[in-house]
Amino acid sequence: MNIETVAVIGAGVMGSGIAAQVANAGKKVLLLDRVPEGASNKNILAESAIEKLLKVKPAALMHKRNAKKIQPGNLEDNLADLAEADWIIEVIIERLDLKQALYKKIEAVRKPNCIVSSNTSTLPLADLTAGLSAEFNDHFVITHFFNPPRYMRLLEIVEGPTTNPEALDTLIQFCDFALGKGIVKCNDTPGFIANRIGAYWMQTALLEAFRLGLSVEEADAISGRPMGIPKTGVFGLMDLVGIDIMPHVLKSMVHSLPKTDAFHQQAKIPELVTKMIEDGYTGRKGKGGFYRINKAHGTKVKESINLATGEYAGSQKPALASLQGPVVKDLKKLLSFDDKGGQFAWSVLAKTLCYSASLVPEIGDDINAIDRAMKLGYNWTYGPFELIDKIGVDWFIAKLKADNYPIPPLLMTAAEKTFYRYDNQQHQCLSLNGDYQTISREKGVLLLSDIKQNQTPIERNASASLWGIGDGVLCLEFHSKMNAIDPNILQMIATAIKSIPGQCKGLVLYNEADNYSVGANVGLALFAANVAAWPQIEAMVKSGQDTYLALKHAPFPVVGAPSGMALGGGCESLLHCDAIQAHAESYIGLVEVGVGLIPAWGGCKELLTRWTNNPRRAKGPMPAISKAFELISTATVSTSATEAKDYLFLSATDGITMNRERLLFDAKNKVLALAEAYTPPEPVELSLPGATARTALNLAVDSFVKSGKATNYDGVIADQLAIVLSGAETDMAERHTEQDILALERTAFIHLLKKEPTLDRLQHMLESGKPLRN
Amino acid sequence: MKNVVIAAYSRSPQTFAFKGALAGVRPDDLAAQVVAGLIKKINLDPKHLEDLIMGCAFPEGEQGFNIARLVGLMAGLPQSVGGVTVNRFCGSSMQAIHMAAGAIQMNAGEAFICAGVESMSRIPMGGFNPMPSPELFKTLPSAYIGMGETAENVAKQYNLSREQQDQFALVSQQKANAAQQAGLFDDEIIAITTANGVVTQDGCIRANTTSEGLAELQPAFLSDGTVTAASSSPLTDGASATLVCTEEFASQHGLQALARIKSIAISGCAPETMGLGPILASKKALQRAQLSMEDIDIVEINEAFASQSLACIQDLNIAIERVNLDGGAIALGHPLGATGARITGKAAALLVREKKQFALATQCIGGGQGIATILEAI
Repeated sequence: MNIETVAVIGAGVMGSGIAAQVANAGKKVLLLDRVPEGASNKNILAESAIEKLLKVKPAALMHKRNAKKIQPGNLEDNLADLAEADWIIEVIIERLDLKQALYKKIEAVRKPNCIVSSNTSTLPLADLTAGLSAEFNDHFVITHFFNPPRYMRLLEIVEGPTTNPEALDTLIQFCDFALGKGIVKCNDTPGFIANRIGAYWMQTALLEAFRLGLSVEEADAISGRPMGIPKTGVFGLMDLVGIDIMPHVLKSMVHSLPKTDAFHQQAKIPELVTKMIEDGYTGRKGKGGFYRINKAHGTKVKESINLATGEYAGSQKPALASLQGPVVKDLKKLLSFDDKGGQFAWSVLAKTLCYSASLVPEIGDDINAIDRAMKLGYNWTYGPFELIDKIGVDWFIAKLKADNYPIPPLLMTAAEKTFYRYDNQQHQCLSLNGDYQTISREKGVLLLSDIKQNQTPIERNASASLWGIGDGVLCLEFHSKMNAIDPNILQMIATAIKSIPGQCKGLVLYNEADNYSVGANVGLALFAANVAAWPQIEAMVKSGQDTYLALKHAPFPVVGAPSGMALGGGCESLLHCDAIQAHAESYIGLVEVGVGLIPAWGGCKELLTRWTNNPRRAKGPMPAISKAFELISTATVSTSATEAKDYLFLSATDGITMNRERLLFDAKNKVLALAEAYTPPEPVELSLPGATARTALNLAVDSFVKSGKATNYDGVIADQLAIVLSGAETDMAERHTEQDILALERTAFIHLLKKEPTLDRLQHMLESGKPLRN
Repeated sequence: MKNVVIAAYSRSPQTFAFKGALAGVRPDDLAAQVVAGLIKKINLDPKHLEDLIMGCAFPEGEQGFNIARLVGLMAGLPQSVGGVTVNRFCGSSMQAIHMAAGAIQMNAGEAFICAGVESMSRIPMGGFNPMPSPELFKTLPSAYIGMGETAENVAKQYNLSREQQDQFALVSQQKANAAQQAGLFDDEIIAITTANGVVTQDGCIRANTTSEGLAELQPAFLSDGTVTAASSSPLTDGASATLVCTEEFASQHGLQALARIKSIAISGCAPETMGLGPILASKKALQRAQLSMEDIDIVEINEAFASQSLACIQDLNIAIERVNLDGGAIALGHPLGATGARITGKAAALLVREKKQFALATQCIGGGQGIATILEAI
């Protein structure tokens, strides 16, 4: 069976978010909700949910047109339509009686083999399905999504004692391939895995911050990055998810967990927090939370609450000794450091890691699955057992003993070992009996991180490496800071171009950082400009152009496989590939104008060529130029890979992979497919209209400058871009080679780099990470 | 001289470009439905027609290939009826009426359909391939000046405040809304069949406009300017058509003529204040009709912008209560090529409805021109 049509019942934030992700996968979704009392429009709840989906930030839909895939309806008129659904997801409020009543209605109409799941986070599966038919029960599971469903990669699945294995497999395949989720099978225990540990961690950090007298900023600085946790830290996270959620979660956990569970000790809400909730300080959705933005005096000032007094004051950069470089960068040092920051770190981490260890095998007997759940569900860099490995099992046990902590049995099993190891090229993790089990990847999952554990790179320098990924395909990995493109990366591309022909079939540009590449290394450009090293700058630009052009015309196929941001020079690398296999969450754009420059590694040329060759564009000399001009001059960045197709950063035939872990495999397959009878692309020639196009583009820019939508200097940059895209001093009857346009890019780039406002933009970007509007 | 009359007037509903109900309709389809609707309404055998003259400001893409001829064929006119496309930007379809009047005086035909169309959704203002002369742009940059900036120039020159312009826009919305509510457009609108149903009502009118709401808007064209989106006409889709013929032709075919064309005029002006175009054009037309402004009972002035409308009204000393009785382009929209026939047809129809004697229809034109027509009751 395939899942083609999905029904989501419950159009709240989670239900509509899940519906959006199903629509993002290209499938039809029926979104139903109840009819509110006295409503004249019976579909009002589902319809307004879809309207909200179109506005919510970050966007739930990967493309606005995906909203059309969601059919709104109501439970009075559209119940019979559920018969079409291959999968029905119930996402209504957490009340057993209402859920059971709904299931009875579903049971009456669902087609045989239709899978039904609940997104419950608190109710046991056995209670949910009591009194329903065996056929229904066999096709019922819990599918627990995380908010927001598009972006949070974890999906916890709980199966019942009689769940049909084929149905479960169909569902898992769909959620993995189509929805892009990382599936973790869980036991039917309260909070499953991620929220059981995650809620415990949040509560522990909250209470310890109060107990040890840390400020909100201090607690977040310690509980965030040093522990491999997103920099929002614990208070920032609570502001994000809603502070008022916590009492509900605690109530449900306290209700369902045995009195002996350590969770009870952390299930307290400080008085200040109760008062905050009562006063509407529920986080970002309310008047503010532990942080707030004070706009009272015409400016936006970030403020934090004082946990002792409840008063807000301007947020301060924390100055604890434990947050200084050598300590904060070494987790073991931080955990042993004798100030309140170190004490906080140790107390939170010791309790959380011990609690996690104590939950095995109750919540699951696979420690790798538990680590995976925390990484995918809470964006932790390391799962709890990976963290223990990082600080050392024996070091941890010794410190626990010294501080009179009880040692969980699992930790003793791991004594003198590690939770993970590589043995004979096999990645293994510890099982409960002390043996190691090999961690097997799903078919179609290929991770560079696995390859890197077992191989040495074919070539390596400070910024890039070349890896063999099997079947004669190489992978070029960027690993400079933020994957900024620098001479080392260019040199590695040149190396690949030299070494592949005759030896290998093709190349994938891919890495496993959060962002494929944030662009060229602007620090180098700024430095060179400040010392007026113009010949060197020109050579650097030319070298980038030559390298990318050689990549484009290399006698083997090259596939770009971005995930996250692919900006500026990173985007230009993709534009020179034969094909792209993009992760669905790819944010692609030519953003050079933000630093006062224009794309000069062939980006203008390639985007112009793509629009010129686009069969759907309006005919004539201007539309392609206008479109490339618009995209580059406004630094447009796609909000998804799907949207990148609108801008032709991706072509219609480029592939999109929903599941991040399947990206490299898909990209490699694309190389292999292209490698059969591969011929490199022919050099491009374009006819460009010259000064008339520059005049037309400048007329448009002029109106933006005059209306205040662009600055005068934006106009200066746009004029240089107009010169490049119009072909400068030419005429329609002339033909431009790729080299001609590249020469125009170089001239415009150097021209702008010599201007003070461009240097100011570069400086500002390096210092703040944000573009300067000057 | 013969008596040339406007014997009939119809138009499509006018809706916002891109988001309105007509955005998905090809302009040739839209215009053909209006032309066919007009002929059906007056029950005229189209074999008597000499020509279909159609105004269009950006005659390319779906408005290309001599759209007038194609609309004639689509509307079921006999092949013997000609078709010519006219471009005088916003004045295009008033120019179509002028051309028919001229041809009639030359004995070059007795009856003409004078129509106009613009789908601003489907053909961008400026066209798909704007390719200005770099030389002219160097010597006279205002030749290509944006329309919004000209509106700001006029506002400065006539010292028109933001409040005055907003007030003018508000009144236009109120008049249009009242007219729509009273069904005063029902006679002139030809329902348009689209893939998503039949469109019968104007879509640009903002019934809930308030002066507070208008005051909140940011300037649209100059960061320190006074012209906003609300005091400008919106991008619009629409089509219009009139029957222009001799008075004899009308009576022979049982048509109740709406108005006689008394005089016509064109005048050029500075491109950077193109909104003042109606002033000289109207003065010329008045002189040719041997009338003064006090004689004019009904004025249809195209509201490209509130500022230029106010400047012209002030300069020509027009009594405000005689202006745009059912609202103007700020509320109804301004499908460039269609507006001229709409306001001239409207002025003729208003002479009948209001039982008045003289009417003036006038417009400004991008690039620096004005066009005017004076009508007289039958």
